[in-house]
Amino acid sequence: MAFTPKTAPYSGRIHAVTLGTGDKAITIGGQNVLPFYTFDAAIEHAPKIGVEISDAAENWTVPGLAEFYAGCTTMAQRAKKAETLEGVDFVCLNFESADPNGAGRSVAACVADARAVAESCTLPLVILGSRNVEKDGQLFAALAEALQGKNVLIMSAKNENYKTVGASVALAYGQKVGAETADDINLAKQLNIMLKGMSVKPESIVMDIGTAAVGYGYEYAASTFDRIRLAALQQGDSDLQMPILAVASLDAWSVKESTATEEDEPAWGSLEERAIHMEVATAAADLTGGADAVVMRHPKAIAAVKQFITELV
Amino acid sequence: MALKGLDIFKLSPKKNCKECGCPTCMAFCMKVAQGSMSIDKCPYFSEEAKAKLNESTAPLMKTITVGSHKLGGETVLFRHEKTLVNKNLFAVCLCTDCSGEKVEKKLADLQKIDYERIGERMYVEFIYVSNKQSDPEVYANLVKKAAATGRSLVLACRDAECARAALEVAGKNVILDGATPDNWEEMNGIATGAGVALGVWAPNLSELYDTVRKLEGKGNKNLVLDVTADTAKQTLENAVLTRRTAIKDGDRTFGYPSIVNVAKIAKHNPYLQTALASMFIEKYGSIICMSKMSYAQALPLYGLRQNIFTDPQKPMKVETGIYPINGADENSPCALTVDFALTYFLVSGELERSGQPVNLIITDASGMSVLTAWAAGKFSATTVQKTFEDLDVANKIKNRTLIIPGKVAVMKGEIQEKLPDWNVVVGPQEAVQLPKYIKNKDYEASVKAAEAQRAIQTGEAEGEQKELTFQELLDKKVPRIEIRDMGVSYKPRNPESKNFVVIGERIHCIAPSIHRAMDERDPGPILERAAQQIKAGATYLDVNIGPAEKDGPERMMWAVKLLQENFNNVPLALDTANRRAIEAGIRVYNRTNGKPIVNSADAGSRIEFIDLAAANDAICIALCSADGIARDNEERMAHCDALLERGLSLGMTSDDLWFDPLFLVVKGMQDKQMEVLEAIKMFSDKGLKSTGGLSNNSNGAPKEVRPVMDSALIAMAMMQGLTSAIVNPNDRRLMETIKSCDIFKNNTLYSDSYLEV
Repeated sequence: MAFTPKTAPYSGRIHAVTLGTGDKAITIGGQNVLPFYTFDAAIEHAPKIGVEISDAAENWTVPGLAEFYAGCTTMAQRAKKAETLEGVDFVCLNFESADPNGAGRSVAACVADARAVAESCTLPLVILGSRNVEKDGQLFAALAEALQGKNVLIMSAKNENYKTVGASVALAYGQKVGAETADDINLAKQLNIMLKGMSVKPESIVMDIGTAAVGYGYEYAASTFDRIRLAALQQGDSDLQMPILAVASLDAWSVKESTATEEDEPAWGSLEERAIHMEVATAAADLTGGADAVVMRHPKAIAAVKQFITELV
Repeated sequence: MALKGLDIFKLSPKKNCKECGCPTCMAFCMKVAQGSMSIDKCPYFSEEAKAKLNESTAPLMKTITVGSHKLGGETVLFRHEKTLVNKNLFAVCLCTDCSGEKVEKKLADLQKIDYERIGERMYVEFIYVSNKQSDPEVYANLVKKAAATGRSLVLACRDAECARAALEVAGKNVILDGATPDNWEEMNGIATGAGVALGVWAPNLSELYDTVRKLEGKGNKNLVLDVTADTAKQTLENAVLTRRTAIKDGDRTFGYPSIVNVAKIAKHNPYLQTALASMFIEKYGSIICMSKMSYAQALPLYGLRQNIFTDPQKPMKVETGIYPINGADENSPCALTVDFALTYFLVSGELERSGQPVNLIITDASGMSVLTAWAAGKFSATTVQKTFEDLDVANKIKNRTLIIPGKVAVMKGEIQEKLPDWNVVVGPQEAVQLPKYIKNKDYEASVKAAEAQRAIQTGEAEGEQKELTFQELLDKKVPRIEIRDMGVSYKPRNPESKNFVVIGERIHCIAPSIHRAMDERDPGPILERAAQQIKAGATYLDVNIGPAEKDGPERMMWAVKLLQENFNNVPLALDTANRRAIEAGIRVYNRTNGKPIVNSADAGSRIEFIDLAAANDAICIALCSADGIARDNEERMAHCDALLERGLSLGMTSDDLWFDPLFLVVKGMQDKQMEVLEAIKMFSDKGLKSTGGLSNNSNGAPKEVRPVMDSALIAMAMMQGLTSAIVNPNDRRLMETIKSCDIFKNNTLYSDSYLEV
């Protein structure tokens, strides 16, 4: 008796969402199979990689990163440099310094940075905010307005501020909006329903479902990925059929493995090597779970994950 | 895989002879399917049919044992469906083409990776020894070196002579990864002769399938599938399709663990190997082979593996202990939290961020988060005191500042009492607020206040050490009960009634107004909530006084007397982790309208609450879990049996044991709801009574949705045979549903105004 594998696409399909404009525009999502299950059906849009450009990048002291961005002093210069990296599909601007409990940079300063990046860069842009719900409400509205026509993705609307963020980002200025939840499939669905209820088009929503660095409670992220993707594809749940973006760099670069010095952990070897592998493993796990786009930091990690994607699609 | 009764019935003799004790063959088959009867009770079931049954009840994926390692044995494709069982194991590749020097270095390097992470040893379990030459002696020499490390081996060798030579020196903990469609017969002989597992490889899945069938035909089921192909893409396809064919499609031919050679498909790129290994940890690689393993790779890969193979229902725990952070020493302040791994990572991460030296003390809380553990009595002043004694904290640390989580600020007084030499201060509510709190030394002011307070208390406390008897407590510590007219009186229930028993849940310490009322012995809020519930039709009232470690007995005696004297001896469920408080409550309890209920015993650390109920002729709620939620109904029923047996052996009747399946929250455990309902049916089939905190299902749902969910679930649960529930009687929709179900179940005679009666 010969073996014939049972392979078939699911009836549900992930929305294809386009970011950016012109010939550098990218499309994420669009598939009707689990991640990299090309044997069930072809995957039209391979997952994409974004490079993180932070407004606090002066804290990035590992030699490889410092060397790569040597001479760059502004976000625009860094973004320009990042665009030259092989395998980068979009640029992700992280305005972490806008947090009023941190450096508290003004909205105007952030907008000026974003404008400068938009003028000099051609890749699509994704925006990360300050994680302060109130500040992000103002920041996102200003950025969405300043970047009108660029078709950027702004991360993210949360349960606490989806009304203001959804209205300004997606409805008023026609940008794409992120919907952020933390390892909670029920809330992820609810947030999408609320955004759709405000007349935000499903094709304008990208989810951030909450991730972690591998080893740090990643089981919650992994199971949330699995359950959301199975609900979207197998059960055809149209409120969960949005593509997913995972910011792997933030988690991967903040754990002990990627921050403990070589003096503190002599057996562990080079800090930079540890951080690269941590970022690679986290991004690869996110992609295996169902991320349609990952945000990363280190050029070597980006190159490896790009190759990983190319080999599998 | 569970077999349905009808499938068994198809194979049955269909004689309806009743010799098994069942009225029909169908009834017998249903019992066999449930596992309550053995197939051997039927004298007429043919051997052939039995063999067929055995085969179809065998696991879909075999567990292959290599030394102390177990591979495979999985029952699901995704961890959230149940749990993944046997973690992936890692191998480092050696090859006959490597120079002697390189071999030595690789063997030395792989042994350097050996550390512990959250109670698990992390090391390279296997060495993958690849034969690229045709000289048996060369290969055997290499295998010998690898075997000398004591690690298990994968012998990647398709040459029969070389394989024989290698097996002679390899020891027993070996997989011979050498069978192909061309040589399977000879390799089968070698592997079975040596008593080792055989790895099977083929250029495509179709040939792999045929080769496995041929090997199985020769009686060899000690197999491993080498699914490695030339590309990563093809290897993923092989790994997924073999696993899916076995577990989803039920074809056991592919029901074996796998070997994935990442070194081969990722060539010499260590970063790409890390990426692919991460994927194969989740996607079905049983043994993952790497070119080498550095700390930079091991830390993320083993961390990910530990996460993925965590049982979703058994939280990851960290060891109880003192964890010095930022170079803390005996003069640094202490911060306290629970042993739930996620809490530990969060708190230790934030403390590290503060840059200040702090001793983080992890106390045993059964792996629950702070609030959950507190509510379950697993994180209390007593457990903290025990941790401090076990760890000998007082002698190891000189600083006397102890910061406790803000979420359990209520425990401050009790901890202070148990640890009188310490200055207990309340930290922030959330871990993210810790860096600021620690950096600014916000705790110092509180420490000064605590010191001052302590000075006063030590003066007062002297000479007041003797434990009072219940009678003394009653005389001295329980205030006189005030009788107020609340406009309702409890109507006694007919003890013969089959009607559903509603235990009102509203007198609960987690409500701030009740907590305060209990602390201050203020009858108002408690009487008010009792009156509302009685009016709404509650049969019993639950009285939750919290962990109440300090004054549990007098607190419970007061609450019992207050409620019973005001409301015509309303029957009560006494709800606390403090056993002495329950005993004290029963001491003053009036049984006119029903026995007291002890809430609750479980099959773990609270099993002795059954003894308490038995000794006091009380009803006992028996929670079918030990530490954490039962994995499945098999475990639930095992707990049920253990609890039942203990109760009966102590002279209780089964009617006085009310089994609680533990209702689970829909937000988070939606896919487990039917299992809970099935457990209720199993209790009912055994003739047992049941109860539980049903409203837990809708925890976190919007206020207007909860009554809808609760009443739908209670109707389903009553259909399954639920006889009682701990719920909110003020929920009108729920109460009307219960009354209607009692009509359909023929427990109450119908009348047009049955809802008002």
